[in-house]
This record gives sequence, structure tokens and C-alpha cells, in this order.
Amino acid sequence: MADDQFLQQALQHLDALHNLAVYLTRNGSEADDLVQETYVRALRFSHRFQPGTHLRAWLFQILRNTFLTFYRLRERESPLSEHGVPEGELPMFQDAPGQDSERSSAHMDLEQALMRLPEEFKTPLLLAEIEGLPLEDVARIMDCPIGTVKSRIFRAKERLRGYLKDYGGDPKV
Amino acid sequence: MADEMTDQDEDDRLMGRLLRERLPRYPAPALLRATLVQAGSGRDRAARWIAPAAAALAMAMVMLLWIAPLLPTTTAGDPVRLLERAVLGEHARIILWGESRPDVVPAALPRAMEESGVALNWVFTGDEKIQLLNARATYLEGRRAIELAYQDADGHTVTYLVLPAGALALPERGRVQIDRWRPLVRKEGGFSLIIWKQQELLCVLVSDLVSDGDLAKLKQYFVKVRSSTEPHAVY
Repeated sequence: MADDQFLQQALQHLDALHNLAVYLTRNGSEADDLVQETYVRALRFSHRFQPGTHLRAWLFQILRNTFLTFYRLRERESPLSEHGVPEGELPMFQDAPGQDSERSSAHMDLEQALMRLPEEFKTPLLLAEIEGLPLEDVARIMDCPIGTVKSRIFRAKERLRGYLKDYGGDPKV
Repeated sequence: MADEMTDQDEDDRLMGRLLRERLPRYPAPALLRATLVQAGSGRDRAARWIAPAAAALAMAMVMLLWIAPLLPTTTAGDPVRLLERAVLGEHARIILWGESRPDVVPAALPRAMEESGVALNWVFTGDEKIQLLNARATYLEGRRAIELAYQDADGHTVTYLVLPAGALALPERGRVQIDRWRPLVRKEGGFSLIIWKQQELLCVLVSDLVSDGDLAKLKQYFVKVRSSTEPHAVY
């Protein structure tokens, strides 16, 4: 497949990749860098792809691997909180789309709760529930069995419910 | 029991719906899309945005590596551990700088060999799963070395370093049988290292491939590199 053709197909998934990048990095400019790096890496191996294959899952896999690589480098440099993320970093609440205050508050609680999840819980939850990826693809991206993915998604939701209760919200809203 | 399961399923469905309906989405900024389109169509595909970002990151890494020796350490007296740290620093530099500047390998290799004092009679240049991106000479633990940067199809960077072994002895503990070789396999700071001796040289393969599945991939890359690369010290 030609690079241009590949890029056109890959760009169809840009918004989804950027969304995951934001939730992984919690930082708009880092998310942009992560997505760009993902595309550069994907383009290097674009010759391996045929139209109609699992491009979306492959791009997510590259994005996650790239994030983990840089994250591990940073991890060596900064102390981590109990949740496995660097201390002192704030979620991007201020970037949430404008809504009425009650709904916005629900956004914030939910987003804040999600940010507290460790990466290995957060990523499969977002991929399966928000991006609608089949569990087989999520398992490939996470490099683990489907049973593990199911278990992580289950536990992620369980934790989210607990966190939302902490914020005084109704997790069934 | 069945009721509990049903409640649980219902809770799961509700949480899924809550996420889909209430969680903010962050679509890509128009500028990012435009940059990618431009980068994809231009011949200088990555340079436009990588250069300033990589320069800043490289500077940060240089600062980190500069102050690293001043930090308290518990590895004094363990030459293999010291080597590991140096290798990881080099790998970090490759990720943050060298990898984003793929070189023309046929041109880079002779220069790297000449500058490092390590010659490669045969070299693994890649296959459909992993590709050689660049090669250069470097300086590691007071010794000149050659480093080859690979990247696999899933985006993992794999760095291959060769330097004179000197009197360094690899411990028996931690050796793992891979194909017909028995290198030392270690995990350090979220990275995996495969270390072995080849003639009078010390060879290291390092990557962020750490899970069981990923480590199996790194072992496959080791077999490819080990069987297809023949380094020797020029002097």
C-alpha cells in the first residue's frame, strides 16, 4: 500500500487515538506528541498492511507501546503515587467541553475517577467501552489473554463505582 | 446467585453507558491533523515537528545523564549492573533522539565501525518484523562501542550495543537458554536486557519488551541478531 493511501486510512482513526492519548498522558501537548510519534512509527511499517486489516487495533497497539516506552523512561526519573502515575499531575478537567454545571460536574467526577485507574485497567476499559473494539483486538493491544482483558474491565468498572461513591455521586446516574 | 449475577451485569451495562454518554472525548486538534497530513505528504516526513521536540528531550536526557553519576548509588562493585545502567541511558537516548533520525544504514555502518573500533563482518539489517534504523559509534563505561537501533512492527525500539568486554565476567545466575546460546537475561527499570559475550566483545540487546509475551519476542530478535551478526574488535 502506498504511504499516502496508508496515511489516509490511518487518519480516519486520528480522533480515537488522540482521545486515548489524552487519557493516558493527561496532557494535551504530550498527547499530540504521542499521536505524532505513533503515526511516524506506523508509517515506517506501512508496507506490511493490506487494506481492510486491523489497522485500528494496530495503531492503538503502537500508541500504547510508545506511551509505555516513554512512560517507563519518565518512571525512572519521578516518584509514583500508589496508583502508578506520577504525583502532582492533574487531569484535564479544564479542557472538558462546555456543558451545564451539573452535567459538567458529572464529567469531572467521572473523568477524575477514570484518571485514578492504573493504565492496565484504564486502557482496556476505554478501548472496549468507548472505542467499541472487540475483546480480541483489545487483548492483542494489551498483549494478554482475553480472559485477562475481561477481568481488567470488570475490575476497572468496580473501582470506578467505588471512586464515584467517594465523590458523592451516584454511579448509576 | 442468579439475581446477583443479573445485578452485576446490569451495573456493568450502566457503567458502560455512563462512560459512553458522560465521559468527555478529546478529538484531535485541527493543527495536529494538518501536521500529520503535511508530514505524510512531504519528503521530510518527521523532521518538522521532531526536531524541536527531540532537541528539548535530548537536552533533558543529557542533563539527566550528566547528573546521574553524582546521585547516590548502591551498585558500586557490580560491573554488570553499572553496565546495565549505562546501556539503559544509551537506550533512552536512542529512543529520544537517535530513533527519530533514521540514517541511511549502508552509509552509517562503515563510519560507525571505524569510529567505534568494532567491525561487523555480517550484520542483521532486519526482516518483516524488525528493521534496522541507524548505526553509530558511542562511548559506554569508558569504552568505545557501536550501537545499532532497531524498531519492530509494533513500535518497540530495540538497541544492540557491542563493546570490548575487557575483564568483565558475566555471572551464571540469570543465564537463560535461548536457541543454542545461554545469555544473561535481566530486567531493570521497566526494560529487558539480554547480555552475552561474543569472542572478546560484550553484546547487549535492550528494549522495553518486558511482559512474558514481549520478552519472547525479544528472545526471537536475539536469535536473529546473534546468528546473523558477526562482530570483532578491530584493535
